[in-house]
Amino acid sequence: MIESKRRRRTVANIATYFVLAGLSMFCIGPMIWMLLTSLKYEADIVTQTMQYIPRRVTFDNYVAIWTQSGFPRLIGNSITVTFLTVTICVATGTLAAYAFSRFAFRGRTQLMLGYLVVRMFPAVMMIIPLYVVMRGVGLVDSRFGLALAYTSFLLPLFVWMLKGFFDSAPRELESAARIDGSTRLGAMVRIVMPLARNGLVASSVFIAIAAWNEFLFALMLTTGQGSRTWPVGLQLMVGEFQLPWGVLAAGGILSILPVVVLFAIVQRTMVQGLTAGAIKG
Amino acid sequence: MTADIEIRNVNKHFGAMSVLEDLSLSIKAREFIVFLGPSGCGKSTLLRMIAGLETVDSGEIAINRERIDHLPPGKRGIAMVFQSYALYPHMTVRDNMAFGLENIGMSREVIDARINEAARILEMPHLLERKPGQLSGGQRQRVAIGRAIVKEPKAFLFDEPLSNLDAALRTRTRLELAQLHQRLQSTMIFVTHDQVEAMTLADRIVVMNNRRIEQIGSPMEIYERPATKFVAGFVGAPAMNFIDATLDRSSGNATARFSDGISVRTAISSDLLADDKYSFGIRSEDVRIVPPGQGNADGVVDVLERLGERTLIYIRLGDGQQIVGSDVGNSRVAVGHKVGLAFDGQKSHLFSAAGRAWHAREA
Ligand SMILES: Nc1ncnc2c1ncn2[C@@H]1O[C@H](COP(=O)(O)OP(=O)(O)O)[C@@H](O)[C@H]1O
Ligand SMILES: [Mg+2]
Repeated sequence: MIESKRRRRTVANIATYFVLAGLSMFCIGPMIWMLLTSLKYEADIVTQTMQYIPRRVTFDNYVAIWTQSGFPRLIGNSITVTFLTVTICVATGTLAAYAFSRFAFRGRTQLMLGYLVVRMFPAVMMIIPLYVVMRGVGLVDSRFGLALAYTSFLLPLFVWMLKGFFDSAPRELESAARIDGSTRLGAMVRIVMPLARNGLVASSVFIAIAAWNEFLFALMLTTGQGSRTWPVGLQLMVGEFQLPWGVLAAGGILSILPVVVLFAIVQRTMVQGLTAGAIKG
Repeated sequence: MTADIEIRNVNKHFGAMSVLEDLSLSIKAREFIVFLGPSGCGKSTLLRMIAGLETVDSGEIAINRERIDHLPPGKRGIAMVFQSYALYPHMTVRDNMAFGLENIGMSREVIDARINEAARILEMPHLLERKPGQLSGGQRQRVAIGRAIVKEPKAFLFDEPLSNLDAALRTRTRLELAQLHQRLQSTMIFVTHDQVEAMTLADRIVVMNNRRIEQIGSPMEIYERPATKFVAGFVGAPAMNFIDATLDRSSGNATARFSDGISVRTAISSDLLADDKYSFGIRSEDVRIVPPGQGNADGVVDVLERLGERTLIYIRLGDGQQIVGSDVGNSRVAVGHKVGLAFDGQKSHLFSAAGRAWHAREA
């Protein structure tokens, strides 16, 4: 009896791991392939028989993309746009999320829902009117303009996420802080924000990654080297270099590196339960 | 420091719902006042209005004859202890206590001196460098009280601070709060729905119900001469017995007659009463158990509750009504026994249909 139960459990475990491993391969596989490709010589990439593990390893592709193309410029632009987007979202979104979480004002629910409605339209539908507006105010082909465009669909997300974190910070803490002489804003900054810190970091990283990887808006709203971001730039290189797969793969790896690093950071932050002990435990 | 608090004609709405209506209350300096009432009657709201955490729709609140209802909470000179303790979880105990003092720009030496003094009073110097998450419920409670003490406030406001403690700790903390009041001689306002806390702590109890104050009085006044049927039923455990009655007012003191012919001669003047339906009220300790036929009524014992020093006896009368009486601790009565009930007319009350109360003439 017990023996067969244990056997059944082992079988179930094996099946579980099998599925998990399969899914992981499906997700990580392309990235590993990209990494491997970026380390190969051009001659080893296009071969008669498939060569999975490179026989010879080279970093030439990395050197090439960094020195012989506009790639550093693209990365620079992406950093600027991402930084601007996150800054705008954190500065305005934090206050908005706090207000939605703490104040009962007329139109509160409608506003929150309105934020979601924006997300329901496909980005393609938004892009033409957005382009017209941006051209009207002279923000086409500018990094700030692109950041604003990103804000239009990332800010609602940011506010919704952060509101959840603010909601879970006990209100009596702010009451206590206000009795201790803090203003509303002071209580928010000194008491609620430290408690919602993990949420703030997580939400910020989330929108940073979204802005970093965004392609469609960037393609439509940027035209020149001055503001083009890496997803668009990398795509355009396909024609420029007659499919230099190794160089492209190197560019891809360099571009996802910041994302990987950011994720590693968030993961650690999100695990820490800072609110422990705020109230009766 | 201490202060008197004056609340005049205060109203409060949340949206369309009225929570407090035209409420007035004078609290004397050094007084320990308890707001007592069922959950949702507006006690916390009133306390938070005094603290400045809720706005006042209309009316005035003054501390030491100075209007404060327009001041922010931090400028009112009060301290508050919350049910959840509301300790700042990311700060040490010391920083928790220092937070409010730093905000008013107090010097480091004074802050440290006050924190050390409070820690000494509350016997928790060893906890100062810990974070709230590392403390037990009772210790957090102490820190919350300590955070209030260091501010040397004009008044302490407590919102059900004992509800989250277990029974033994609650009793001990209750006692410590009473001692703290003795020692600090500060005005204290304490919100609770627990009548034992109210009775044991209060100089005066403010019984609230349904947007209004039902009665203000010392614990014994509230207990012995409740102003309304609500107060009579809410204060005291077990709750007061109520029996529908008609009155015989032919003599000086009214006699209450119940439906099945039982009558009790009260000590309440007939002149004050009308020819109307009344509710007769009597507490369990004023219903003695006697041999059958020797009291005002006979009944059968339904349930016994032995409390040690006395026994509560739930008795079913002929018409099906249940009455709680009390007997000595080692009562010989058993479930199913037929017993007699002797009502103490001197201690009985009458309530009109509107809930107004009449009691025996004061001695
Ligand atoms: N911020 C608020 N918004 C809306 N209604 C509230 C708010 N605070 C309290 N109430 C309502 O006001 C009434 C009184 O609440 P409260 O003062 O907390 O009662 P108590 O402390 O006596 O239990 C309750 O019906 C409660 O639901
Ligand atoms: Mg309450």
